[in-house]
Amino acid sequence: MNDSQPLLDVRDLHVDYDVAGAAGWRRRTLTVVKGVSFTIAPGETYGLVGESGSGKSTTGRAILRLADVSGGQVLVDGQDVATLGRRTPLAYRRAVQAVYQDPTASLNPRHRVGRALTETLARHGLGDRDARRRRAAEAFEQVGLTTDHLTRYPSQLSGGQLQRVAVARALVLEPRLVVCDEAVSALDLSTQAQILALLSDLQAASGVSYLFITHDLGVVRHVAHRVGVLRGGELVEQGATRQVLDHPQHEYTRALLAASPSSHPDGRDERRAERAARRAAAAQATTAQEAA
Amino acid sequence: MGKLVAYRLLFAVPQLLVISILVFSLTYLVPGSPAAAMLGTSATPEAIAHVEAQLGLDRPPLERFVEWFGALLTGDLGTSFRAGMPVTDLLAQRLPATLSVVAGGIVVALVLGVGAGVFTGTRPGTLADRLVTGGTVLGLAIPEFWLGLLLTTVFAVQLGWVPIVAWTPLTADPLAWMRGLVLPSLALGVTGGAIIARQTRAAMVTSMSAPYADTLTAAGVPRRTQIARYGVKNALVPVLASTGVTFAILIGVSFVVEKVFALPGLGSLMLTSVIGQDFPVVQGVVLVTATLVIVVNLVIDICYGLINPQARPQ
Amino acid sequence: MSNAVILDPADRSPAGTQARGVVQAWHRLRRQPSTLFAVVVVAVLVVVAVAAPLLAPYAPEATDFDAPLSGPTADHPLGTADLGQDLLSQLIYGARTALVVAGGSVLVAMLIGVPIGLVLGYKGGWYDRIGSRGLDIADALPGLMVGFVVIAILGRGMAVLVLAIGLVFCMNFARMTRAITLTERKKLYVESAHVSGLRERQIVFGQVLPNLAGPLAVQAAVFLGSAIKVEAALSFLGLGLGDDQPSWGGMLGLAAEHQADRPLMAVAPGVAILLTVLAFNLLGDGINDALSGRRTTGRRRSAVLGRLRPPTPPTLAEVRTARSAGPAPEAEPQPAPAGSGATPDDDVEVPADTVLDVRDATIVADRPDGSTVTLVHGVSLRVRRGEILGLLGESGSGKSMLAKAVLGLLPPGVRLAEGSVRLNGTELAGCSERELRAVRGTGLGVVLQNPQANLSPVHTVGRQLVDVLRAHHPLSKRDARARAAELLDLVGVNDVQRRLDQYPYQFSGGMAQRVAIAIALAGEPDLLILDEATSALDVTTQSQVLDLVLDLRDRLGMAIVNITHDLGVAAETCDRVAVLYRGELVEVADVVDLFDRPQQAYTAALLAAHPTADHDVEVIA
Repeated sequence: MNDSQPLLDVRDLHVDYDVAGAAGWRRRTLTVVKGVSFTIAPGETYGLVGESGSGKSTTGRAILRLADVSGGQVLVDGQDVATLGRRTPLAYRRAVQAVYQDPTASLNPRHRVGRALTETLARHGLGDRDARRRRAAEAFEQVGLTTDHLTRYPSQLSGGQLQRVAVARALVLEPRLVVCDEAVSALDLSTQAQILALLSDLQAASGVSYLFITHDLGVVRHVAHRVGVLRGGELVEQGATRQVLDHPQHEYTRALLAASPSSHPDGRDERRAERAARRAAAAQATTAQEAA
Repeated sequence: MGKLVAYRLLFAVPQLLVISILVFSLTYLVPGSPAAAMLGTSATPEAIAHVEAQLGLDRPPLERFVEWFGALLTGDLGTSFRAGMPVTDLLAQRLPATLSVVAGGIVVALVLGVGAGVFTGTRPGTLADRLVTGGTVLGLAIPEFWLGLLLTTVFAVQLGWVPIVAWTPLTADPLAWMRGLVLPSLALGVTGGAIIARQTRAAMVTSMSAPYADTLTAAGVPRRTQIARYGVKNALVPVLASTGVTFAILIGVSFVVEKVFALPGLGSLMLTSVIGQDFPVVQGVVLVTATLVIVVNLVIDICYGLINPQARPQ
Repeated sequence: MSNAVILDPADRSPAGTQARGVVQAWHRLRRQPSTLFAVVVVAVLVVVAVAAPLLAPYAPEATDFDAPLSGPTADHPLGTADLGQDLLSQLIYGARTALVVAGGSVLVAMLIGVPIGLVLGYKGGWYDRIGSRGLDIADALPGLMVGFVVIAILGRGMAVLVLAIGLVFCMNFARMTRAITLTERKKLYVESAHVSGLRERQIVFGQVLPNLAGPLAVQAAVFLGSAIKVEAALSFLGLGLGDDQPSWGGMLGLAAEHQADRPLMAVAPGVAILLTVLAFNLLGDGINDALSGRRTTGRRRSAVLGRLRPPTPPTLAEVRTARSAGPAPEAEPQPAPAGSGATPDDDVEVPADTVLDVRDATIVADRPDGSTVTLVHGVSLRVRRGEILGLLGESGSGKSMLAKAVLGLLPPGVRLAEGSVRLNGTELAGCSERELRAVRGTGLGVVLQNPQANLSPVHTVGRQLVDVLRAHHPLSKRDARARAAELLDLVGVNDVQRRLDQYPYQFSGGMAQRVAIAIALAGEPDLLILDEATSALDVTTQSQVLDLVLDLRDRLGMAIVNITHDLGVAAETCDRVAVLYRGELVEVADVVDLFDRPQQAYTAALLAAHPTADHDVEVIA
C-alpha cells in the first residue's frame, strides 16, 4: 500500500436532496453539499465542523453510502466508491463504519447489546460462533465494558455505556475509517470526556482514522488533527486544527470562534463588545447595500 | 386558500374515476348473469340472450364502460332492472332522508364527542374522567341499530313522545322533520360521539401538556383561555381527521338504522337492490355515497388547512 | 484504562420493559380490572360457543307450534320466535356464529391487509405512493357498504359473510402495517444495521416484524368486536347467514318486527352483542396498555402543591417566619458527594434586593408503589436584582425540576416536599393556582429549551403575545398589539408588523426563542428563568440570544437564573454559579472564583473535562 496515498480522498463532492412538494408530487432539488474536497490520512482524525444546515452530516452519509452522490468523487484507497451503484460491497462496510449521536436509538431495543456485535461479525463471515463471542467480549473490554454487559438490553445501560457499545460495534470489524456523527453531543460532559479519550486510545492502538463531525469547536480542538469548516455546503477553510482555530483566515471561522463560549470568564466583556461591534458593522453594511 | 382547494379537488377527480371503474367492473364479478337471475331458473337460453341484448350486456366491456361513463357525466346512471325507473330518480328520492339522518348524527356526535373529549382531556385521571371515559367505551360497543330499537320502543311506542313513523320531508313540515330525526340522530350519534370523544381527549391531553402550554401558563395566561383557545385549537387537528372517518362510518350505519326507523333512504334502496341483484342501483348508490364522503373530506381538509398553517401549500 | 474519572454514572438497571415483554405484559394484563373482566367474558363466550350443543335446551331451529312468539315461560326462559323456536338456544348458538364469523373475518382481513402494508411500507417509492392513494380511495367507501356490495355479488352464506367483513377491515390492517413499517424503516438502528453490512431483508424481518406483533394484536382484538357488530348489522337486515342459522343480529331483526307486542325480545341478543364487543374492546385496550407499560392515571397539578408539608425542624421555620435578616444559626451543611462542606447561601445575611430566595428545597417524585424518589435535596439559592445566577448541572442533577418548582409547574406526581421558595419576600410554596397566577408573568418569566415547541403552532405570534399582555393589564386590542410590537422590537425582531401576523414555523430557532423571551418579559417580571434556553441553538445564534439576554438585563435590571449544562455559557454570562449534582448543591461561588479556584472535586473535574476552542485541555495530536 502506498504510504503517501490518503485513506480517504473526497474531491469536489456534490450531494442533492429531494424535497417533497405539497401534494406529494412536486419535488424540488436542493444541493446540500456543494463541491467539498478534503483528505484523511491513515491514523488521522479529521474534524468536520459546521452549524445546522451546513451539510456536514450529509457529507458523512455520502461517505457511508447512505446518500447518493450527485457529483465529484469519493476515493477510498484510490478507488472511487461514489460510482459503485446501488449495492455496497461488503468489504466497504467492513472498512468504513459509523458511530451516531443518539446512543439509545442506534441499537435495537429488543436485542441484547452483544448481539449487535455478533450479528455483524456473522454477516462478515468472521469466525464461528465461539470465535465471534470471544471477539465481541474482547471488543467490549477494549471499550471499558465487561462481559456482563454483553447480555444486557439497551434500556439497562446508561447513555455513556451505550455509546461505548456503539464504538465497540464500529471497531469490532477493525475498520480503516470511522465516521463519528456528533458522537459525543448527546452525552454529559464527564461522559463525553471519557468517550473522547477512548476514541483516541483506540486510534493509537489500531491506527484507525476518524471523520469527526461536530458543531462543537471545543471538542474538535480536543480531538482532531486537522479541521474543515463547512458553511452552507461549502468548505470555507481547512487546515491543522491549532492553526485554524488560533489563526482563522475566513470571516465565518472568525465569527464562529467569536461566538463559541470560552473556557473562562476573563475577557468576556471585551468579547461581548467585539461581537456587538461586529453586529453593528454588519447592520451598517446591509443598510448601505439596501440604500445602494 | 384557493391553492389548497385546487389541490384537493385535483386529487378528488382521479379518486372518483378509480371508484367508478371499480363500481363498473362489479357487474363482471358476478357469477352468472343478471338477466338469468331476473328471468328465473326456467328461462330458456334464447330468452336470456334476448334480455341481455336489451340490457346491452352483450357488448365489449370497454365500449360499455365508455358509454356508461359518458352517460354518468350527463347525470344518467342507467335504469333499474327491477323498478324500470331511471336510477338517478330513485337516488334523488332517497337522498334527502339519508342526508338528514347522517347530518343529525354528525351534529350529535360532534356535540357529545367534543364536549366529552374536552371535559375529560382537561382533567385526566380524575373520577369524572374515568366515568365519562367509561361511558365512551360503552358507546363504542353498543350496536347502533339496537340502541335505535330500544329508543323507539321506549320513546315512540311506549311513551309516545315522538312519532313512530320518523320521517317527514323537510319541505312538508320542518318541525315534524326535526322531531322525527331526534331518535335516529341519537342512535347514530352515540357511537360517532364515542369515537370523537376518545380522539379529542387524547388530543387535549397532548396539547395541555405541551411545552407551549407551560410557556403560556408561566407567563400568566389564565387556564380558561388556555383550554378554550390554545388547548382546543391545537387539539382540533387530530379531531378533524377523526370526524371525516366518522362521517364515512355513519353513512354505512345509517343504512342499517333506516330499517329501525322506517326511513325512506338510500339504505333500504340498497337493501332491496342487493337482494334483487339490481346492479345499476347498487352502482348508483355506491357512487353517490363515495362522492358524498369525498366531498365531506374535502371540506374537512380545507378546514384543516385553515387551522394548521403548515399544511397549506407554499 | 485512561478513563479514571470519578463521575461515571452507575448502571441504570430498571426492569427492561420490552425485553421480557411477554411475561411482563401478562402480569400487567392481570392487574387491571377492566382487562380481567374482558378476559373472563371472552373465555365464557368461547366456552358457550364450543359447548353450545350441551348447553342449549333445544336445537336452535327446532320449532314448537304450540307456543309461537311467547314471552318468557318455564319451558322457554327467553320466549320463542315466530315459529316457536327457543330464543335461549338461539342466543347460545348465536355465540358460535358470532365467534366464527368474527374470527374468520379478522383472519381474512389480516391475511390480505398485512402483506399489502408490509410491501408498501418497506418498498416505499412509487409502490408506496400509488398504494397509499389506493388506501385513500378505499377510505371513501363506508365499510358496511362494502359488505353490502360483496353480498350483492356473491350471494348469502357463511363464506361470503366472512369474506365481506374481512374486506371491510383489511384496509385498516394495511394502513396500520404500512405506518409501522415506515416508522421502523426510518429508525436509526435500522440504518446502523445497514452500515454494519446486514442485508435489507434480514434487517426488516429481524427488526420490523417483532414491532408489528403488538399493535397487530391490539387491532385484531378491537376488530373482533367491530366484526361482530358488522355481522349483527348484516344479519339484522337479513343479509347474513341463512334463516336456519341463528345469529344475534337475526334475532334482533325479528325483535324489530315485534316491537309493539313483544318489546323485550330485543333485550337479550342486544345485551349479548354489547357485552361481547365491550369485552373485545377492553381486551384490546388492555393489551395496548400492557405492551406500552403506560400508567393511565395522572393527577391534577394544583393538587400537587397542596400537599406541601411544613418545613422541619421548627426552629428553622420560626426563623423564616420571623423574616429575620439575621443569619440562620441552624444552617445544616449541605453534604457534597466528595464529603467536604459546600457553601450554601443560607448562612449569609439576606440582602435587601433579593428577588428569589430558595431555602432547603426538597423535591420528590411519588412512585406508583407508594415510595418516593428524591430529585432535589436541601438546595438553597439566592438571586438579587440585576444578577445572573447560573444553575450548572448535568442531566439528572435536578436543575430543571428546581426551576419548575419555583414556577409551580411541577408535573403530576412530583412535589416540593420541604423548603421555601420566596419571590420578593412572598412565599410561593403551598400557594393555590390562583395565587400563583397572580405572581406568574409579573413576578416570574420563563424561557424553555425547544424554540419551536415553546409557541403554539396554530396561533400567530402576535395572538400569543397579546393574550399574555392582556392577562396582566386591561388593554384594548389595539393597545395590546402596539405593546406586542414594542416587545418584539425590544428582543431584536425586525419587520415587526409583518412578524406579528406570522406563525411560529416561519421563525428560525433563534428568532423563535426571541419571541419566547418577549412573552416571558411581557408582564415585566422581576425574575427571568432560562431553562437550557439556548441549548438547541447553533453556536452563532446562541451567542446572539445570550448577548440579547445580557442587554436586557442591563436595560431592565431583572434577576436571571440561567440553567445550563454548558460551562462555557456559564463563563460568558453568569455573575455567580451554583453547581448541582444529583439533586444536591455542590458549590456556589462568584463565577471567576469558581473557574479559578473550584472548591469541590466535582467542579474541578467538570472544568477539567470541558474542551473549548480557545485552550487545550489535553493534547491528542
